[in-house]
Amino acid sequence: MEIGTIERELYIQASPEVVFEVVSNPEHVRQWWPDDARYEVAPGSAGEIVFGDSEAGGQVVALTVVEARPPHTFSFRWTHPAGETATEGNSLLVTFVLTPSGDGTLLKFTETGFRELGWEAAALEEMYQDHVNGWNMFLPRLVPYAATLQVQP
Amino acid sequence: MTSPVAELVDDDLWSAIGDPTRRRMLDLLLAGAGTATTLSQQLPVTRQAVAKHLDVLNRAGLVQATPAGREKRYHVDDAQLARAAAQLASVGSAWDARLRRIKTIAETIQRTQHS
Repeated sequence: MEIGTIERELYIQASPEVVFEVVSNPEHVRQWWPDDARYEVAPGSAGEIVFGDSEAGGQVVALTVVEARPPHTFSFRWTHPAGETATEGNSLLVTFVLTPSGDGTLLKFTETGFRELGWEAAALEEMYQDHVNGWNMFLPRLVPYAATLQVQP
Repeated sequence: MTSPVAELVDDDLWSAIGDPTRRRMLDLLLAGAGTATTLSQQLPVTRQAVAKHLDVLNRAGLVQATPAGREKRYHVDDAQLARAAAQLASVGSAWDARLRRIKTIAETIQRTQHS
């Protein structure tokens, strides 16, 4: 058992180009994770994601893009202290690797850094855990939203 | 940024379990209680190194010691180990929910583009 790394793999019935957009573009990321996301999809871009309303007690969390190679790899570091450069030891590293598979894409996800960062990072992540109810609320909004999208393959 | 839900003891717990040798020791102790001597016979490290690791695990509450002759006999504290495992599992399940959304969004876009 590897403690300190989260690894997942899933098959998505969509092209790597579409999946890359969904995991990297802040417009899409807002639909599956934070309430707001501000960064450029370019290596080294320092930005932030926001949980809740930033004007009313929401949490603003730093995010720095590490790698952006469409449609193969997107990775970023997050949870580093605002104003600090994201490095190993002060942040969690999230990586999405996309591989074409049949008519779809195999998505490999990893999040590392818990061992270096200590327990606090895990507790922090838990704070941002999605509630199952949120998913039920989210689904009905998804189809009309997707219909408005124009993704360049 | 600091997390209001993290306590000091949790940091000890996490770093205790983060070391590969200590995880191997926990695996061995889960199979049956042991002393620094018996553990060092099953690991490529010295008895002194094992004793230090046992101290760290003990401070984190992951093992408990009972006197056994001139040595101490250690066994795993199941409740504390379960607590550590549950914490990481909850982080993993948060990502499971996010990844399910990624899948649904991407597949919906794909269908919309080709309809």
